[in-house]
Amino acid sequence: MAPVTNAVTDNDHDGLLNACAAGDKQALQRLYTLEGASMLGVVQRIVRDRAAAEDIIHDAFVRIWTRAETFDAARGSARTWMFSVARHLALDHVRRHRREFTAGDEIDHHADPLEGHSHHPAPADHFDWQGHGELERCLAHLPPERRNCLFHAYVDGFSHQEIAIRSGHPLGTVKAWIKRSLAALRECLS
Amino acid sequence: MTQSSPRPPSHNDDTLAGEYVLGTLDTAARVEVERRLQYDSALRDAVDRWETRFAPYSALATPVEPSPGLWSRIERSIDTAHRTPPSHENPRPRPGWWQSLALWRATTFAGAAAALILALTLLQTPGTPQAPRFVIVLMTPQHTQAGWLVQAASPDELELVPLGRFELPPGKALEFWTKADDWKGPVSLGLIKPGERSHLNLDDLPPLENNQLFELTLEDAGGSPLGRPSGPIEFIGRAVSL
Repeated sequence: MAPVTNAVTDNDHDGLLNACAAGDKQALQRLYTLEGASMLGVVQRIVRDRAAAEDIIHDAFVRIWTRAETFDAARGSARTWMFSVARHLALDHVRRHRREFTAGDEIDHHADPLEGHSHHPAPADHFDWQGHGELERCLAHLPPERRNCLFHAYVDGFSHQEIAIRSGHPLGTVKAWIKRSLAALRECLS
Repeated sequence: MTQSSPRPPSHNDDTLAGEYVLGTLDTAARVEVERRLQYDSALRDAVDRWETRFAPYSALATPVEPSPGLWSRIERSIDTAHRTPPSHENPRPRPGWWQSLALWRATTFAGAAAALILALTLLQTPGTPQAPRFVIVLMTPQHTQAGWLVQAASPDELELVPLGRFELPPGKALEFWTKADDWKGPVSLGLIKPGERSHLNLDDLPPLENNQLFELTLEDAGGSPLGRPSGPIEFIGRAVSL
């Protein structure tokens, strides 16, 4: 997948968000026109339910409107902030609705039926992750199966358990990989 | 109770921030991070950094064109939406939102009876638009007496209705807590005035769920200093979905 190049710069988003804070509804509509489809794509990928995804985009834009004045450009770009509002609403939604994976099924590091399987298929990347940003150089140092864990979490919104089920790796391994991958990325970036 | 942290985040906090952004934390840990973000600037900075680092990978999800009616729905909602101040200026829990414990010691029997009748009326008409989707009856731990009725007309707003008298000892306060099944610990919903209806907004918490635990504990005035219940449970109950 080619890197996404946006015709608009983040500065436009900052300006539009400031206009929202001042009560300019057309600015919010412009942000919706610019980013609505991309944001719905992100949310739909996580919640896997079109109606729920649209409800979340509705809630996200209402929240962006009511909290526009809390946005602080010193803390990150307006676009990142908008996407994070929508993404976290989607994550909250799936954590509530994918309970069947976790409820009453307390995490047991020793009971994983896949524990002991040492012949996993050769690891391959599940995501076309190259060409997207400053993290790339550091992500390249991670083994593919660990990169997959990060992207199944970030892009698919999978819980540790869902990643474990999907990848066939034990739950404890998945948890440790994610923690260590984040530490490795931090180390690499510093 | 709020303190800002000029220090850089510890490696543990930085990883916690990364996991928050990835979305792999369980609900209790997510709630806890969101609570800390209101006052812990080092953690907030760490979350912002991870959000910025991972943001480009949002492009891995294929865009989906929204339905034609979605914008008009949003537009209708923002016409009635209220703006909120920055959340870190309005931290939760918020002891001290009422002035005097002594003012709220007593309620009359008539008042309690009226509240109970109202509660039962609401319980009998679950189909009406105003009907609460969840109710919780907070009983004494021995289940000998109902103390409060908690009703939720929406998953993020609660109303507490006192059902009886509660004499608050001097220098003490009632603190309201909740915990869903998969949270690690209870979260404070603030101090409650005995004998008075209270409305609580649960915006910062995941929506209510069935069987979610609620309790009122007796704490020193100002609330528990530990961030978790430290005094005896006076009333306790679980959410029932209607």
